[in-house]
Amino acid sequence: MAKEMIAMLLAGGQGSRLYALTQKLAKPAVPFGGKYRIIDFPLSNCVNSGIDTVGILTQYQPLVLNEYIGNGQPWDLDRLHGGVHVLPPYQQASGSDWYKGTANAIYQNISFIERYNPQYVIILSGDQICKQDYSDFLRFHKEKGAEFSVAVMEVPWDEASRFGLMVADENDKITEFQEKPKEPKSNLASMGIYIFNWDILKKYLIEDEADPNSENDFGNNIIPNLLRDGRNMYAYHFSGYWKDVGTISSLWEANMEVLDPEHSGINLFDENWKIYSRNSGMTGHRISGDAVVENCMITDGCRISGTVKHSILFAGVTVETGAQVEDAVIMGGTTIKAGAVVKHCIVAENVVIGENAEVGAMPTEGEKGVATVGSGVYVGDNAKIGPNAMVNSNVKGGEEQW
Amino acid sequence: MVNSNADALGIIFPNTYDTLVPELVSERLMASIPFAGRYRMVDFILSSMVNSGIGNISLVVRKNYHSLMDHLGSGREWDLTRKNGGLNIVPPFAQKNIKVYTGRVEALASVLTFLKSQKEKYVVMSDTNIAVNFDFKAFMDAHISSGADVTVAYSQSDVPASARKREDINSDMYYTLDIKDGRVVNLDINSKAAGPQNFSMNIYIMDRELLISQINTAYLHGHSFFERDILSPQLDKLNVQAYRYDGYLARICDLKSYFDENMKLLDEENLDALFSGDSIYTKIRDDNPTRYIGEAKVKNVVCADGCVIEGEAENCILFRGVKIGKGAKVKNCVLMQDTVVAEGANLEYIISDKNVTFTAGKELKGSDSFPVYVAKHQTV
Repeated sequence: MAKEMIAMLLAGGQGSRLYALTQKLAKPAVPFGGKYRIIDFPLSNCVNSGIDTVGILTQYQPLVLNEYIGNGQPWDLDRLHGGVHVLPPYQQASGSDWYKGTANAIYQNISFIERYNPQYVIILSGDQICKQDYSDFLRFHKEKGAEFSVAVMEVPWDEASRFGLMVADENDKITEFQEKPKEPKSNLASMGIYIFNWDILKKYLIEDEADPNSENDFGNNIIPNLLRDGRNMYAYHFSGYWKDVGTISSLWEANMEVLDPEHSGINLFDENWKIYSRNSGMTGHRISGDAVVENCMITDGCRISGTVKHSILFAGVTVETGAQVEDAVIMGGTTIKAGAVVKHCIVAENVVIGENAEVGAMPTEGEKGVATVGSGVYVGDNAKIGPNAMVNSNVKGGEEQW
Repeated sequence: MVNSNADALGIIFPNTYDTLVPELVSERLMASIPFAGRYRMVDFILSSMVNSGIGNISLVVRKNYHSLMDHLGSGREWDLTRKNGGLNIVPPFAQKNIKVYTGRVEALASVLTFLKSQKEKYVVMSDTNIAVNFDFKAFMDAHISSGADVTVAYSQSDVPASARKREDINSDMYYTLDIKDGRVVNLDINSKAAGPQNFSMNIYIMDRELLISQINTAYLHGHSFFERDILSPQLDKLNVQAYRYDGYLARICDLKSYFDENMKLLDEENLDALFSGDSIYTKIRDDNPTRYIGEAKVKNVVCADGCVIEGEAENCILFRGVKIGKGAKVKNCVLMQDTVVAEGANLEYIISDKNVTFTAGKELKGSDSFPVYVAKHQTV
């Protein structure tokens, strides 16, 4: 049976700007919001929008991501026909081809897409936090009679030059594309989410592959080629919450915004648009008699005896007596020992912060850094981690890192 | 074949002891009573069996089993969605038994054909009124090495006062054991003795063939109860060994013990004792993490995912999706799934069932000896 629309999710980003967090982890597998990983958002959006076939294109450090996706059951994507498929670059008779660019990644999986014979293909990005109804996007695409549509966000004019911009007429028809221009003619930033008619996409992918000078990239090659040929291209306006969490500070910020859904617009507590994830299966969290818990999110398996303020604690975090946690993102399985002070930082999974150690600091005038401790790191007793530090290997007791 | 599974199949009786907690089972059965924040009673025995390599488990239900079916689904969360074995829910067979059975003999008689067709050498049997992380592997090893016909697990515990008042010897009896050199020499029914007893956990293991022949004979004689009618009269013939379990367990004998056993888990030692072994699995609800907002104040609380706490909570077990509004005070309470405590309400010693709503400003207090129970879907 043919599918109306299937999704291809680009999850190959190296996430080099998340350095300490992506050493052993593909960026889409980075934990977010207490019990999720980034990829839960596009996957849940797909299921909630009625898309039941998703190809995930992986490349770097795919181990955790592969295991996490498994058979797709947590997202209801274990289907007889369709479902979720992880698509790494594979060996061919002529040798294996690393995905050269975003377009090449799709090109190499044309045969996967053909199996479902879809009318439309939606291209998604695995490094954004966003709740979006793709079926509404498709409705727009069909109404406009488009061959290609791109989801765009209005951004402030003074920031526009940081984005790929779509210039569109009053009917939302795209007339020009500007990649990070000095003089923006539009403030409609591309979200990197596209809907193509499959026949058009296939034609352009094949052409693009044949061009030896191409970077095989959607933004740099495919979209300009579509424009060149005067294809029917439309910009779909999206006004909900959208955040690219490609940097430590944006990841931290997006986590903090989860704590304040009334103002930030990212509501994870939405019964009508649930975000699914693979569950820890831990027992409920426990808050002891002398703990102080203010304005935070706490997940199953946590044990809290210290003070936790305005922070997000993932599954199985322990905060011992007298420890202080503030403005922090503490990922699963981490232990913060007695008397440690952990502030304004991201601590990855399975870290131990020793007794009376200090990690990060509340921001001051000139200092707004978000300290980051990579997964599995042991920070010794009385050690000190400065607000700009990126810690990726064990820190001995009493040592300082800045 | 690689031997990854135990050579035993499991049989669970989800309705046993329903009569001890009439309030909690008005719309469910013992096995689906919520416990410890995010579990149902059946999760403990079921997970224990699975974690001990038992992958062929039947639940012989009697009545009120909708909630259990809903909870278990295909058994995926317990890794029991199997082509061979897996989870098997056996409802009563109406045409054959006009009267729905009362005891284990009739329940087992209804699955005799199934039992005969299985391959496992042993059968383990259990009720669901005990929350325990039980090592069936060790239990099985003990059974095999002792050469017993039947092995029964027991704990050294007091029989609760309320149970000791029971007179009924035709349903939901409890059993205490007289043991001599490891062998059960006498099986007391509803013993009135005070102090620590060899309190049977009603967890059994025996040879499948032996079980089949015993049930066949007993059923033909019109017997109902496995302990009263099969074991007790044959203690001289059958070698029934007692297996002492010294680990943590929470036994539900009445509403009060339900409350107390929940409350006991506020003590970290008990919580660890019950949960630090192999995982206890349960149905996934995909709740978001619990959120503490504004003036929320919490002390000594065990809380599952999906709660939103804006008020005060002290000494409470909060199940998934509980909401406590601004200025509300909740003390010494067990609030089951999706209980809503509206602004300014004040609760003490309350057990609220699923989906209960306490309206704004409401005050309701029970006491330590008589916690007040509020039934499912009620608005107070």
